[in-house]
Amino acid sequence: MNKRAVGYELVVFVTQWGLMLLGFGILTKIIAPLNLVSPSLSIGQYLDAAVKGLIALVLSVAWLFIWDRQVRLYFHRRGK
Amino acid sequence: MASLGANTVAILIALGSFPVSLALTRFFMHWNGKHGIIGIDVHKLNRPKVPEMVGVAVPITLVLFAAIYAIVGGSSSIPLLAYALVVGLAALVGAVDDRLKLRGIFKPLLTLLCGLPILILGLTFPGQVYTSTLHVPLFGGFHLPVIYPLTILVAVSVTSNTVNMLDPLNGSMAGGVSIVAGGLLIGSLLVGAGSTPVGVSSMPIFLYASLMFSLLGFLYYNRFPARAFAGNVGQLSIGASIGALAILGRTEIASIVAIFPNIQNSFFFLSRIRRFTEHRELTSRPTKLLSDGRLADSEDPRAPLTLVRTLLIGRPAPENEIVSTIWMLFLTSTSLAVITLLLTGVPR
Repeated sequence: MNKRAVGYELVVFVTQWGLMLLGFGILTKIIAPLNLVSPSLSIGQYLDAAVKGLIALVLSVAWLFIWDRQVRLYFHRRGK
Repeated sequence: MASLGANTVAILIALGSFPVSLALTRFFMHWNGKHGIIGIDVHKLNRPKVPEMVGVAVPITLVLFAAIYAIVGGSSSIPLLAYALVVGLAALVGAVDDRLKLRGIFKPLLTLLCGLPILILGLTFPGQVYTSTLHVPLFGGFHLPVIYPLTILVAVSVTSNTVNMLDPLNGSMAGGVSIVAGGLLIGSLLVGAGSTPVGVSSMPIFLYASLMFSLLGFLYYNRFPARAFAGNVGQLSIGASIGALAILGRTEIASIVAIFPNIQNSFFFLSRIRRFTEHRELTSRPTKLLSDGRLADSEDPRAPLTLVRTLLIGRPAPENEIVSTIWMLFLTSTSLAVITLLLTGVPR
């Protein structure tokens, strides 16, 4: 077994896991309780959901970007 | 543990899926081989011919045992029907792809439709199939009445395709997903999933156990050196099963954590290729077979940085050793998933 590769992946997984919990924490405690669009509007509920969904999407992209940088740092440079 | 007896019964019924899957795998190995449904194991020097689409044994077993559990297990049949339809539809998409060789974009699009049974049955029977509250480890949870139903379709499509993409070596998918199913089964038992409001009994426990045992039955013939290949029919339905179970068993976040190796593999494949395509259509291969039978990094800068390639950078290895390493990665991610479930607590 390639112990070094498993070790690097372990670091990547644990970091991403921690960041994921943090991201869901931000969504739960900060983003979800906000009233971004007035619910009195006819489509207010849907607009509010769309904006929050967009914020979640941005957080997901940032999470994947960090994952990308980590893997390139640990693995890709070794191949060059 | 609200219903230890019910959980025990669920696991005992699910245990039957091991011999059934084993027998069906053996049957399809012969039938498919006889009817020319054969693939070539390109990671062996002698390039042996191996029966393809044998993974169909797994969705057949899963659907059969879901029906058995609905009859004898005393569980609500609506979520079991939703699960069986999702697995069956994904198997159908996979079978069509195996026979007609669809273009890469069609698989994610068609698998989007596979989540529809959960969505439709969930809207028809509110509270019986899914609830729109996402439970988050450490931080409680939040209600997603609009977004949650929409993400069901995406979740099933993502899990089915990501599992489909990480089956390049003998036993890598079957072994990896059985570790995931086993881990989530243990996690669900620890947090007392038998007391969840979705399904009146130990349905998630049963479904995770039946997925694990049916995969182990298939793995017996799919392990190195493989005598059976899963094909898209097996890979997509097994992936869809993980997605459906995440929703029905309310293990959404833990399931994402458990399939970290799949996510990494798919993300780096897509980020390099920048389109949905089939492995067979790639001009730049991530790995190459050496004359001594070991696999090595192809060192092609245009090839995607797949999970297998990351494990081979600067160090060629035999196929069975790489598969063991992949299983170790699944063991790691699944351990984190179990911790996630424990941090989430009993979903109510």
